[in-house]
Amino acid sequence: MKKSKLNNILSVISLAILVALIVGIQEFGLFGLNSYVIGVIKLCCIYAICALSMNMVNGLTGMFSLGQPGFMALGAYTTGLLTVSAQDKLEIYKIKPIVGFLANANAPFFIALIIGGLVAAFFAFLIGFPVLRLKGDYLAIASLGFSEIIRIFIQNGQSVTNGTTGLIRIPSHVNLYVAFGVLALVVIFMVLLIHSSYGRAFKAIREDEVAAEAMGVNLFKHKMFSFVISGFIAGIGGGLLASHLSAISPDVFKFTLAYEILLMVVLGGQGSISGSIIGAFIVRAALEWLRIVDNPIKIGFINYPGISGMRMVVFSVVLMLIILFWSRGIFGSEEFSFDRLFKFFKGLKKSKKEV
Amino acid sequence: MSVLTTKALTIRFGGLTAVEDLNIEVNKGEIVAIIGPNGAGKTTAFNMITGVYNPTEGTVFFGDERINGKRPDVIAHMGIARTFQNIRLFKELSVLENVLIANHLRVKSNLFSSVLRMPWARKEEKAMLEKSLELLKVVGLYDLKDEKASNLPYGLQRRLEIARALATDPTLLLLDEPAAGMNPKETEELSDFIVEIRKKFDITILLIEHHMQLVMDISDRIYVLEYGKTIAQGVPEEIQADPKVIKAYLGEEDDD
Repeated sequence: MKKSKLNNILSVISLAILVALIVGIQEFGLFGLNSYVIGVIKLCCIYAICALSMNMVNGLTGMFSLGQPGFMALGAYTTGLLTVSAQDKLEIYKIKPIVGFLANANAPFFIALIIGGLVAAFFAFLIGFPVLRLKGDYLAIASLGFSEIIRIFIQNGQSVTNGTTGLIRIPSHVNLYVAFGVLALVVIFMVLLIHSSYGRAFKAIREDEVAAEAMGVNLFKHKMFSFVISGFIAGIGGGLLASHLSAISPDVFKFTLAYEILLMVVLGGQGSISGSIIGAFIVRAALEWLRIVDNPIKIGFINYPGISGMRMVVFSVVLMLIILFWSRGIFGSEEFSFDRLFKFFKGLKKSKKEV
Repeated sequence: MSVLTTKALTIRFGGLTAVEDLNIEVNKGEIVAIIGPNGAGKTTAFNMITGVYNPTEGTVFFGDERINGKRPDVIAHMGIARTFQNIRLFKELSVLENVLIANHLRVKSNLFSSVLRMPWARKEEKAMLEKSLELLKVVGLYDLKDEKASNLPYGLQRRLEIARALATDPTLLLLDEPAAGMNPKETEELSDFIVEIRKKFDITILLIEHHMQLVMDISDRIYVLEYGKTIAQGVPEEIQADPKVIKAYLGEEDDD
């Protein structure tokens, strides 16, 4: 489908507005947003990166992997360990001192981030050998299992990861430029990939494995490509998360995180890049907003005591409803474009007239 | 010159022998048909040739090379392409993308130069696109190139599947019931199409088909399978006159 000229103009304009807004908020405190709201926006970007990494495997290649938390953890800890200063490391590691070679290991933030991605990608490569031989639900369970194994290793690797206490005093380098900038890079990479011959081969695997193999696509090799790239992107996302939160512990990377990211991907539409981003923003913002159900509320006579963790219940119900009734998500496997938006509104008008 | 030879090809699933002692030979440029009642093991034979199943006994030679035990994608790479009994297109993708994907096995640039659009990768992609468009023109699907594969009418989906197989640059093309579900007019067009592509692409064709008119019209030789065994082979006229074949298809006359 050829895009209209109007669509292209509007896309450029909206992109320019987005950039202007980012600069405005970052430099001039536009709208007077407090640091909490800005923090949520940054978190949205980071989750969008993680959602894209899951979409790479689940949406584009048609596999069902839930290994994201493990790869994020690897990225986060690598980035964290390489950016916490040597002095801080001495003070943080109380139970057991940090192993020698890591005590003085330091790298500039972006280098640390990339190393984090590479470490995650390397583990994705190792885990890929056993798990990519599985299909469907089995792959999901196995990848989730490996993700938990990674977390438990981290939890018990006292002298490397500081165990359950986790890392603190990670210098925060994530401002809006970094958050949106890395997100933009990931998006560009994925768009280029999707429109390359390899991206088409991934899609072929999603559509029909048997046919793809009969057409000469080496299934294992291409699934591995997809899995490793996804691991790399998740590692980068994890690294950003570590730097953003400035404190991480194994608890952050529990398997529930995989469901949270899955919801973003499914809500946005599996296989859609714009879908994953919008899904991430909606879910992340909603989770923040849903904090009100964790707190006591008084509506007229009814006194709701506020149950902490209630928002996760609401969240789970929403996830189930979406998967049951709306499994195509907002965009299906298509991308957002203004043409589609107009078409959608036209369709709405039409159906109203018919009524 | 023999393109494909199977020697004593046998496969058993548990106690069931699906194909037993299959010996077929396909020579360069021929159109050879395998016919037989449902469940005779025709598709199973195809699956052994293309690497989906590993035969229990026997060997498959492609030219001089033994290919049984190789992965399907390796066999496709060597030059055997196939279509499926129940159409297996990449449904959500466009007609053009379906054909482009079949070109992927000849891609030389690696993932990164392909993603980063290096000059050589661009050149390769461009050549691939031109070749695919040319192929779509030849098979008459050019005007539908941006259409979703699943939106094509049935006959054209069959045609696209053949086009996709041709895009892998095969020397041997396996067609699994290409006329299944087609009306008489579509079947006739298909007959012409198969003869035409043999000439145009200089390929050898092995096909499974139930449609006798089509088989008798275009095949050079025919193998007849029943319950996994080869019961007859020969040119169409011989097969039509063979009492065993008539028995397999029409049943025996009652003597009482």
